[in-house]
Amino acid sequence: MKSTGDNCNMAYVIAEPCIGTKDTACVDACPVDCIHPKKDDPRFEQEKMLYIDPVECIDCGACVPVCPVSAIFVLEDLPEKWENFAAENAAYFGR
Amino acid sequence: MVTLAETLAQNVREGELWVPLEGKRIRCYACGHRCPIFEGQPGVCKVRFNRNGKLWVPWGYVASVQCDPIEKKPFFHVRPGALAFSFGMLGCDLHCSYCQNWVTSQAIRDPRAVAPPRRMAPEELVRNAVELGADAVVSTYNEPLITAEWAVAVFREARKAGLLTGFVSNGNATPEVLEYLRPWTDLFKVDLKSFDDRQYRRLGGRLQPILDSLKLIHRMSFWLEVVTLVIPGFNDSDGELRQMAEFLVGISPDIPWHVTAFHKDYEMLDPDNTPPSALVHAAEIGRRAGLRYVYAGNLPGRVGNLEDTCCAQCGERLIRRYGYRILDYRITPGGCCPSCSARVPGVWAPSFRRQAAERPFLPMLA
Repeated sequence: MKSTGDNCNMAYVIAEPCIGTKDTACVDACPVDCIHPKKDDPRFEQEKMLYIDPVECIDCGACVPVCPVSAIFVLEDLPEKWENFAAENAAYFGR
Repeated sequence: MVTLAETLAQNVREGELWVPLEGKRIRCYACGHRCPIFEGQPGVCKVRFNRNGKLWVPWGYVASVQCDPIEKKPFFHVRPGALAFSFGMLGCDLHCSYCQNWVTSQAIRDPRAVAPPRRMAPEELVRNAVELGADAVVSTYNEPLITAEWAVAVFREARKAGLLTGFVSNGNATPEVLEYLRPWTDLFKVDLKSFDDRQYRRLGGRLQPILDSLKLIHRMSFWLEVVTLVIPGFNDSDGELRQMAEFLVGISPDIPWHVTAFHKDYEMLDPDNTPPSALVHAAEIGRRAGLRYVYAGNLPGRVGNLEDTCCAQCGERLIRRYGYRILDYRITPGGCCPSCSARVPGVWAPSFRRQAAERPFLPMLA
């Protein structure tokens, strides 16, 4: 967060490398339980990847180093080719 | 060259505030994040980490040491005029973009912040505090909860020397860490930065653990004073200030509430500095909500009588201040108003000696 006037949430974003991986180490590292679906969620099997709730995320970065496929980026470092994943993460939570 | 991270990795010992989870994961409960930490990883604070299934925590160094008037913490109801020997380590569990201590708090996240650590034993720290004439030893500058084991080691020594002990904290605590601190800690200053969970998340935390901790800190009889840094456009709406004040009144109307002025710092450079009128207005909201001791801070001489302590019963002015300076002191040795004998809540000295230091200074450590 660089200013107070900015209403868009910060948050980390899970991008393409997670598709088909769904390792869930990030789920186990998140202190605020904002990464879904979890393994015991009925939606886990059908979802192609995991998502971070941009409203619940506290921007701590604990998920980044535990991801085995380096799929998690802080919003400003999200590679351009995966820009659409910011909206995809938010959409999963109806944000 | 040895990096800061490497230096910190060496100045550690096994922590006390954690439980094992399955595998080699552990859960740290030094702060409200309650981080589940994988083997080889640090927690959100980046200074407490899991090595071989055990939690390792900062130990045996200080990053800053300073002698401050106790009014700077700020504690206004604790031995006015006393010297607070203040020390800090490195790191924080939040990452507020307006942090005024970012050189120490963000040292591990931000390479621009450099405050080299200095190795030191608890006995040495306390000996210095006593020699300098301090009344209190205070863990501050970085977030003390994430270095609670070290603080307790220092506070044990401080207690032996007859000193008060205190935390200057963001209040993102847990019941367990408060239990751990309680036998050795007298004073708690907590920041209430907002009453909006969304805003707290932007700073890297959540509102609820702060509110729960404020209630518990008071219930456990630590001496509690609360600070709200009033930031234009961030937390200064009438509604939000009223919610904060009403929440505090609900705990106790005797909790001193310091509304203090923001100045542009670190990465938050957009909002204007807080004008005196905004602080006076915030203080009025606090008073109307029922708080008996509301202070306006960081703008000496520009906020009317909002730097002074007045008797909540008869209105008599008991302590007159200009910034950190005590200009007049009239509280009785028993901690009462001399006019109406009402008790004034706080931790008072039997008598007011002259002020130990009117300004902060860096001590020459022996």
